[in-house]
Amino acid sequence: MNESGPAVRPLPGAPLTAASIAGLDREPIRVLVIDAEEGMREGLRRILQKRGCIVRSAVTGESALRLLAESPCEVALVPLSMPGMEGSALTEQIIRRFGGRTVVVITSARASVEAAVEVTRQGAFDFLVRPSSPENLICVVERAAQQGRMVREREKYLSELAGERNLSHQMINSMHEGVVVLNIRREPVFMNPRAEHFLGTHFRDGMSLPDLFPDMDTAAAIEAVIDSAPDHPECRVVQLSGGERRLQGSISPLLREGEAGGAIVILSDVTETWKAEQDKNRFISMVAHELKSPLSAIINYLNVILTGMFDDNPAKVREMLERCKIRGEALLDLVRDLLYINSREVGKVERTIEPLDLKLVIASQLEFFKVQADKRRICFQLEAPSGPCVVKADRGDLDRIFMNLISNGIKYNREKGSLTVRITEAGPAWEIAVADTGIGMSDAEQAGIFQEFYRVKNHKTSGITGTGLGLATVRRVLAGYNGGAVVQSRPDAGSTFTVTFPRES
Amino acid sequence: MARILIVDDDTDLLEGQRLFLEKQGYTVQTALSIEEGLARARESAPDMIIADLMMEHYDSGFVFCKKVRELPGLEKVPIVMQTAAPRKMGFTFDASVSPGREWMKVDEVLTKPVPLEHLLGKIEQYLSSKSRHE
Repeated sequence: MNESGPAVRPLPGAPLTAASIAGLDREPIRVLVIDAEEGMREGLRRILQKRGCIVRSAVTGESALRLLAESPCEVALVPLSMPGMEGSALTEQIIRRFGGRTVVVITSARASVEAAVEVTRQGAFDFLVRPSSPENLICVVERAAQQGRMVREREKYLSELAGERNLSHQMINSMHEGVVVLNIRREPVFMNPRAEHFLGTHFRDGMSLPDLFPDMDTAAAIEAVIDSAPDHPECRVVQLSGGERRLQGSISPLLREGEAGGAIVILSDVTETWKAEQDKNRFISMVAHELKSPLSAIINYLNVILTGMFDDNPAKVREMLERCKIRGEALLDLVRDLLYINSREVGKVERTIEPLDLKLVIASQLEFFKVQADKRRICFQLEAPSGPCVVKADRGDLDRIFMNLISNGIKYNREKGSLTVRITEAGPAWEIAVADTGIGMSDAEQAGIFQEFYRVKNHKTSGITGTGLGLATVRRVLAGYNGGAVVQSRPDAGSTFTVTFPRES
Repeated sequence: MARILIVDDDTDLLEGQRLFLEKQGYTVQTALSIEEGLARARESAPDMIIADLMMEHYDSGFVFCKKVRELPGLEKVPIVMQTAAPRKMGFTFDASVSPGREWMKVDEVLTKPVPLEHLLGKIEQYLSSKSRHE
């Protein structure tokens, strides 16, 4: 047994030598020689040291264990019989206490080979029959050292593998994406907690594809990926709904040693983007509608005029042209508002935040609208505390807020009505109430007042043009300042829009 | 002479179409909301109705048509819808196939702006087929 060692396969490209097998080309082997006889100890030490080993020696089992505890040795040469502790007992102790790093080789006289073999059964790696040639000694020691190193490397590898598996497991389980793995028979074999959450089900053995993906399109896409040729693997991306959520599933083939082995589905929550897209589409539809409506009215009037049927009634023609002009101008306002909203959204509007006095800002807006108000004989009032009402804001933003509110207060007012702007202190904010005495709104009409393109439509508002974007813009601008706007209104009594804006002390 | 009811929340569109159709000899009634439209329809039982789609709500026109069909004598009145809404807005308006027509309760959907001659042609078409059936 000691003459024909275990078969060792060379690593590709590395020549097979005893040293390379044992790892001796890397570092010397540390050997502990135990023997009661000094001559024997010294003989072994000399041979081993000559071959580059680091040798320590011990006379008794107890001192051997002490030495091993102080500094580890890779190979311990233990005599089968010795005074005090027997070789088998020492072997057992060494394996129990230092088994991870020390390999035991039993030395024995030829007469007791059978006993030595017995000890190898108890955990010694090999045995050496004395007397032995130096070559044989070296060969056994190197083989033992190699065995020890292999055992240690294997243990290290296994523990790394376990660590990596644990890491992969943790990574997959902590992913924001859901992961589902299906085998080639389309059976779900793995789901991470996120996937269970998204699909609203717990993984159990024996699940089927439709259990997880009742949606036909998704199931069909998964089957197509599983069935795709391994040399031309197919990937698919599908959208599916998971309860309230909108999910995107990226399906890729699972290959096992180059053969089709199933599919991996990565599920991500795309609800937010999907909703934003829906909102954007709805907005674009609304814009298209709002642009086409005034154009339809204008073209309709022009067509009526062009028929010539009112050539004998120039006053009627003029009336229609006036309305065309008004609707055309409103259309232009709408385009301007849309461009403003867009440039604001993309951050193209340059803003300078500075301390501003609301009183001054509002007074100048009222001044601007005076001509328009005078035409309808509407009088303005500005009520405010005596001192300055300071806010930190961009002047353009404040102008846009109050321009919209004051313009509405004129448009939806009655002839000879009044428009009152009242500034009051309300805790950490200013409250600015813009109150008109106009047509007012019912509760139902107020409901969507701050939404894009919402316009109250009834007989009282039928001739009034507007873009449907004014109050929506007011709300958007205020949101950027942690401000807000509410409305109180009664039909035929008037509306009061109250804006809150953080105060700057 | 035939009576036509136009329901639309755009005063100017109503006015233009009214002026034109009156010159063609029709008796035209207009309404700015579906409530007003239903009241006119109930009072005067028009021979034909032209209705907008997006009024107070995006589907006001459909609500209106459904309610008109429930009025006695108006179960079969021709209704043409005119809308500035894009053709595809979550759902497709197509009254040329029967499921769409039955669901929407309208005979045809026209896209605004509807040329006057086209509108007139549609009115004549529906009124003559109506009189043939009566």
